[in-house]
Amino acid sequence: MHDFGLLNLSLILLAFMVFILSTGVWIAVGLGIVGLIAMLLTTSVPVGAVLATSVWSASASWTLAALPLFIWMGEILFRTRLSEEMFRGLAPWLQWLPGRLVHVNVIGCGIFAAVSGSSAATCATIGKIALPELEKRGYDKDISLGSLAGSGTLGLLIPPSIPMVVYAVTANVSVLQVFLAGFLPGLLVIVLYSGYIIGWSLLNPSKIPPRDPPMSFRKKLAASTKLIPCLLLILGVFFALVFGFATATECAAWGVSGALLLAWWSGTLNRKTFFESVMSATRLTCMIMLILGGAAYTTAAMAYTGIPAGLAEWVKGQHLTPGMLALYLSIMYIILGCLIDGISMIVLTMVIVLPMIQQAGIDLIWFGVYLIIHVEMAQITPPVGFNLFVLQNMSGRDTFAVARAAFPFFLLLIAAVFIITEFPQIVLVLPHMAFPPS
Amino acid sequence: MRIFLDRLYLYAGYAAGAFLVLIFGIMMFMSVGRQFGLNIPAGDDFASWCMAAMAFLGLAHTFKRGEIIRVGMLIERATGRKRWALEIIALGISTAFTLYFCWYAVSMTYDSYRFNDMAQGVLSVPLWIPQLGYCGGLVLLAIALIDEMIHVLKGNKPTYEKEPPSSPDEFVERIAAGGGG
Repeated sequence: MHDFGLLNLSLILLAFMVFILSTGVWIAVGLGIVGLIAMLLTTSVPVGAVLATSVWSASASWTLAALPLFIWMGEILFRTRLSEEMFRGLAPWLQWLPGRLVHVNVIGCGIFAAVSGSSAATCATIGKIALPELEKRGYDKDISLGSLAGSGTLGLLIPPSIPMVVYAVTANVSVLQVFLAGFLPGLLVIVLYSGYIIGWSLLNPSKIPPRDPPMSFRKKLAASTKLIPCLLLILGVFFALVFGFATATECAAWGVSGALLLAWWSGTLNRKTFFESVMSATRLTCMIMLILGGAAYTTAAMAYTGIPAGLAEWVKGQHLTPGMLALYLSIMYIILGCLIDGISMIVLTMVIVLPMIQQAGIDLIWFGVYLIIHVEMAQITPPVGFNLFVLQNMSGRDTFAVARAAFPFFLLLIAAVFIITEFPQIVLVLPHMAFPPS
Repeated sequence: MRIFLDRLYLYAGYAAGAFLVLIFGIMMFMSVGRQFGLNIPAGDDFASWCMAAMAFLGLAHTFKRGEIIRVGMLIERATGRKRWALEIIALGISTAFTLYFCWYAVSMTYDSYRFNDMAQGVLSVPLWIPQLGYCGGLVLLAIALIDEMIHVLKGNKPTYEKEPPSSPDEFVERIAAGGGG
């Protein structure tokens, strides 16, 4: 056993982590190697045995079984005609708002977000139809791209959400509570986005084309009926969560059943789409699970080094208020978000951040939502922002042009972080309603 | 050999997919069955074992399809010989680590078998059975990495590196098929 100062050890490990990840080694492997080195430097316990058992017990987890099911649910719905129906069903109702059909991006993504856990898939699904339709009608390209990039990220905030499951598992909190905590902030972000679009179009009336010819009420209703099953599915999942009717894993299984039913009803369920959805969901799950396994091992290894406890001590000594800590972490997450993808960002930082926020007395459920909003920002900040890649490919413009268009929406997400920091009830009221704190 | 290995990864991937459907089946059966007083003994345990089996059996397939993520910012800038060398380093490190991991996962499973460890649930199932999926998946991943290493050392392009999509539609398809965020 060697005796390093904790600070030296942390710096060595951090530098090594940055180095190993930059060589292009797969993230999960990088995490594992960092854990390995941390243990070799500080303990004499059998390193390999800890590795094998900690990854095994992290992955043979019943809570985690919700993850592949929610992913699968999204994969099934992606293969339906939901996106076309979303545009046709929503457009007639939003004509009267200043900004008109741009709101379809926001509301459409919001609805799709409630059945899908992925930001890029939400962005791609809604964008597939909305982008060409908006362009055809002569809407300003920047506002339609920007709103789509921003709204796509709602897929992460409005449950079900893949990064939320990842967070809940790494922070060892209830998936259900984090899900419930996401609903109202999701609505908040929708309101902020739509409010911005209204303000923007009042200032730039020339960039919004005239409304489509009016439709009779009956026709509007007819156009929207195809959305009803989707809305029912959302309500079903929502009430199952709020009233504690089901665990997160069961809820996910019901979600898959609902999605299969919906796909069958819309005539897009066949052997090929079923098979593809299973295999896509499997691959995405394997990718995430490997990272989670690596993270589980690093967490176990770090506990041996004493770094987490040292960090908590340090935070205590600094007399940081929760607000200040949140501010510092925000800056760190925004920078990190430019460089790596959301799930890796959660997993890589949790080992270090978790003891700090526990020490500072920050609610872990609240922190989950706070973190997810930063992951949303990561999706629309260059050079590595997934939604930017999606829209770059769909619109043929370069990443930075899309990023510029998305910038106001990035600022709105920062505003959302400020609002939930000032009014944490927005996050906590639903989880406290379903699980009254003792 | 090439065909055999590719089939091996693919079929393990299919098996992982089958475990996903099985998790779904177990959860639905338990959820619906509870209303009628039907239950699967240790159903929760089975679901978690399926989860582990699924996560690891599909790894080799996922790796070969290039869907295991890494920070590509630096490596994707490099071209030609330099890129090739970087890929070899990344593959070398990953292969070494996976072999190490794999060795301990296999010995953990072998120990469970040797000492006849039983699951601590309603049903006492010998633990080595569910652990087989875990260590088996890792063995497959190690084979896939070695295979890939040899493939790239021979001067080929890595199989996990995908051609850029030819059309926006194809890109959207790919995003849906596992685009991380």
